[in-house]
Amino acid sequence: MKLFSGTINSLEQALKYSSTRQKTISHNIANVDTPNYKAKDVSFKTELNQSINANKTSALHIDFSGGRSSSVKVVNSIGNQYNHNGNNVDIDKEMSSLAENQIYFNAVADRISSKFNSLKTVVKGGK
Amino acid sequence: MTIFHSLNNSASALTAGRLRMDVISSNMANVDTTRGQYVDGQWQPYKRKVVTTQASESQFTNLLNRAMNQSVGHGVKVTRIEEDDSPAKLVYQPEHPDANDQGYVAMPNVDPLKEMVDLISATRSYEANVTVFNASKGLLMKSLEIGK
Repeated sequence: MKLFSGTINSLEQALKYSSTRQKTISHNIANVDTPNYKAKDVSFKTELNQSINANKTSALHIDFSGGRSSSVKVVNSIGNQYNHNGNNVDIDKEMSSLAENQIYFNAVADRISSKFNSLKTVVKGGK
Repeated sequence: MTIFHSLNNSASALTAGRLRMDVISSNMANVDTTRGQYVDGQWQPYKRKVVTTQASESQFTNLLNRAMNQSVGHGVKVTRIEEDDSPAKLVYQPEHPDANDQGYVAMPNVDPLKEMVDLISATRSYEANVTVFNASKGLLMKSLEIGK
């Protein structure tokens, strides 16, 4: 039995997604008046279950474990209305994403914090 | 990508927003300036100035990241301050020292209404960026508390 289960790894991925999303939102809002700027979005959930498995013909072959960082992908958001200056940043959508992302980050940070705390309890033997 | 990336993004937008407001205030201040530039022995009226911006992502690391679908961009940058080349407004004022032979004075091509609309737009986007800055700061402070 492992001391560090997959929980911390999953939470780390979630934190990474959330901080990338924060950067993307700040970039979108920074460019709210830039002509021809196209809004960006981060995809994460759809990629999570589609991890590529290495087709190993020998047990010595190394897995595609380096691809962990690729679970977060920055894409141009599509299907928005364009302004007259070619900019498609929807400020209302960005501000609500910002609020949502803040709560999400706080929730995940709380989870990972209490995970460490329960590990601490285990290590100290409940003292 | 550093931890202060999102703060830098917002900061660049705040700088650009402040410059836009500076230029707008310059335009408003010079709404009646008939002597903006001295060209070929003649005074030209002040010309309205416009700030042009561009998404800042020309650095190599950013282009590489974009190819790998990892680029989040580097905020906004001001490319230049351009002059509006629309014609000057002619006002009939024969007693004015800068009037031409027909008694018309060339006034700056500044439209106060347009400037006010631009000013409100600049103010709003500045406020939005301040909000984003504070949100990013909150996230950073929260991540410092992990494990406490």
